[in-house]
Amino acid sequence: MAEERKEGASKSSVVKKLKATKAASVYQKEWFFGMKERVEREGCDFAVLNADVPMEVFRAMDIPFVVNQWWAAICGAKRMTRKYFGLMQENGYRPDLNSYDAQALAESFDPDDKKIDAEGNPMGPWGGLPRPTISITRLTGDVQSKIFGLLAENYGADLYVMENTIARTAPLNWYELAADRWEELYDKDRIDLAVEELKELIRWLEMKTGKMMDINRLEYVMNLINEQESYYKKTRDLIASCHPVPVTVVDTINAVMQAQWQRGTEWAVGHAKSLYEEVKALADAGVAAVPNEKLRLMWIGRGMWQDFAFYQRFEEKYGAVFMWSMYLAMGADAYIRNHVEEDPLRALAARFIGMEDFLHMPPWNSSWFIQQARQNDIDGVVYMIPDNDIQAVEGSYFIKKALEDAGIPVLAFHGDPVNPRKWNAETMTALVDEFIETRVIPANEKKKK
Amino acid sequence: MSIRSCALESQAFLALKDAYEHREKGAAAARKKGMKVVGELGFDVPDELVLAAGMFPVRIYADPEKSLEETDKYLEYSFEPVVRAQFEKIIDGTYGDQIDYLAISNSTDVIIRIFLYLRELKRVEPEKNVPPITFIDWLFTRHRLHQVRDEFVIGLFKKQMEEWAGREITDEEIRKAGAILNENRQALRDMAALRHGTEVRISGTEAMVIIGAGFFMDKEEHTALVRQVTLDAASWPVLTGPRVFYTGAAQEDNSLYDKIEAAGFVIVGEDTDWGDRSYDRDYNMDYDPIRAIVDRYMLREFSAKKAFVSQRVEALDREVNAAGAEAVIFYTNQYDEVATWDMPKQRKSLEARGIKHITFGRMQWPVSKNEDLDAKLAEFAQAVKGGAE
Repeated sequence: MAEERKEGASKSSVVKKLKATKAASVYQKEWFFGMKERVEREGCDFAVLNADVPMEVFRAMDIPFVVNQWWAAICGAKRMTRKYFGLMQENGYRPDLNSYDAQALAESFDPDDKKIDAEGNPMGPWGGLPRPTISITRLTGDVQSKIFGLLAENYGADLYVMENTIARTAPLNWYELAADRWEELYDKDRIDLAVEELKELIRWLEMKTGKMMDINRLEYVMNLINEQESYYKKTRDLIASCHPVPVTVVDTINAVMQAQWQRGTEWAVGHAKSLYEEVKALADAGVAAVPNEKLRLMWIGRGMWQDFAFYQRFEEKYGAVFMWSMYLAMGADAYIRNHVEEDPLRALAARFIGMEDFLHMPPWNSSWFIQQARQNDIDGVVYMIPDNDIQAVEGSYFIKKALEDAGIPVLAFHGDPVNPRKWNAETMTALVDEFIETRVIPANEKKKK
Repeated sequence: MSIRSCALESQAFLALKDAYEHREKGAAAARKKGMKVVGELGFDVPDELVLAAGMFPVRIYADPEKSLEETDKYLEYSFEPVVRAQFEKIIDGTYGDQIDYLAISNSTDVIIRIFLYLRELKRVEPEKNVPPITFIDWLFTRHRLHQVRDEFVIGLFKKQMEEWAGREITDEEIRKAGAILNENRQALRDMAALRHGTEVRISGTEAMVIIGAGFFMDKEEHTALVRQVTLDAASWPVLTGPRVFYTGAAQEDNSLYDKIEAAGFVIVGEDTDWGDRSYDRDYNMDYDPIRAIVDRYMLREFSAKKAFVSQRVEALDREVNAAGAEAVIFYTNQYDEVATWDMPKQRKSLEARGIKHITFGRMQWPVSKNEDLDAKLAEFAQAVKGGAE
């Protein structure tokens, strides 16, 4: 009965059956255990990387790694957050600061991480990380060097850091320049420096691991990523052109995010292709995620992990569908760097130095949101402003102003995607209800006229 | 302890106090003389190039009394309170009326964000009375690659200063400015000897005034006054009480120091940019001018915002030893919490050497908002005194 009510409450249940979403979840676990088994069997180096470190280098050099933020999500899903909060506190650290980024650090304090409980279950998430020998971050914020340094110290790993520079020129149409004309997108000296940083990183890794970089392999990895992200571009463009849309963010966020951590692999390309084919089949069959689609909503912010059902609460009542999030669209617009063969390191540099800025630096984020809102025929934007992390702030005033000046209504609210104490589903639903009724519907009617 | 009467009897100290308390006077006088004024936000704007351009540098500071109505529109909650209040003065026209240019250095994340926001604000709301801005994008990790990059970055800053000045800046002008600032730093170090030595004759509160005045007045005039006050202070009464080292949030005024010293401590040193760190390391007169600037700003004592925990642990140990401190106060404001990542290991290291400490975290700004601070400081003073006996 409960299930029936749930089905009835959301017309987007069909798209929850996307094979690609399930496949990504299954694969990440298989991959992790395979990688862990290899590290333990071979006794080889194993790296923990911050999300903004160019993982392509590790892929090409066949150095096993996990991305810190991906692992944090696994720790969260395995309900380690409370325990890790306590461990940070016990060791003198403020558990409320950068808690997402500090999950792996908290794990390093856990004496039970590799133990098995009385019922035979592993006590650490998926039995815990293999012991890292390498800890690498970029200095895109003040605390990364602290967290990764402490992590390295606790595990006896080697720390390596890469510097970060700030854009002096910021052409508004970055999304048009990124794939082929990146030399116009960035200050030349910033790319030059990033190339040198990559060379130093590679040399350091070669010395540390005894493996030599194969530039052809790097080129291959880069091209795999281009192929994967091109499928995201096709998927995004397809969804944008569909009225009604065949899928919502509930499906695309997880399908894309999990596979992005595997970018640079044949699996990830195959997965992105399968996602596109599934969505295309739904579109070709005329399947509507929300059959009575009337309003198209854009979600700006991190995924609302603690309450994914939130995205679906407005479908039946208003025909309002959350059909856009950054996860798919960033894949479509931010990662592709063509002509890799001309200079793989330069292409890689041009990929990683802008990634944070596209999302967090005005005017790059605001100009992109407007362009995306237009491409996706958006009627309203719901924008969750991150509150507790200076690294995540992104000029919310400018984003809101830019969208509203372009005639797109915006509901901006402050929230935390991983802290249930800061989320009230009832209040938020009422807020969005009011937004749709008082802003989105009138604006939509005006647009139709 | 507030400023003592012996200090108030020193004409040099009174002149410094006047500059410290009336921070706009120096810039206004410079403008009257036809000089351009450069506001500095972030602690790594090289004064050498500002002086060499014939301009007058002043430090951007917050006004705790000002309403943040405008700022609240633009900044998210996670911007620390002092920077919020600085931002208010930049966008409400206060600094638009007082300075000609604004130079921002990437001394911490929050300041980088402020630069990005101001740049965007000028683009979308050009009617705002915000001065022209430049940004200095240092790299602080100590590698040759980054040193070379920093030379390029400072070259860019030099070009910007030349553009603003409407003329070329010569190497000789930079060296001359370097010499002026080295003199100033040496004068401050000589003054600090009266804080760090066996006998302490200058309190932390008094030192805040002496050091801080220099951010708002002519550097040579400041040097002369610091030298005079150092001579005067040699005969000031010796301060008693537990010697404490302060680390954490930079203090733009002396209200916190007042409270700490009122509890019976004597602040003998700090690692903040409104204190001892501001005059650490000289401009090397033997180097190429740009290299000398990079050397000075890149290699001075580690900042909490741009250093590894291990570096900060060693730095604090070094500084506490040099100051002869017997206790340490850790103090961070809410949302200005990077330093808290260093503290567990710093505390452990201090404990291993028998140095007592207290931590104040999530503090409100201004200091007066923290109601139980006096009681906690008094309690800590008792504990330190007890331990000393």
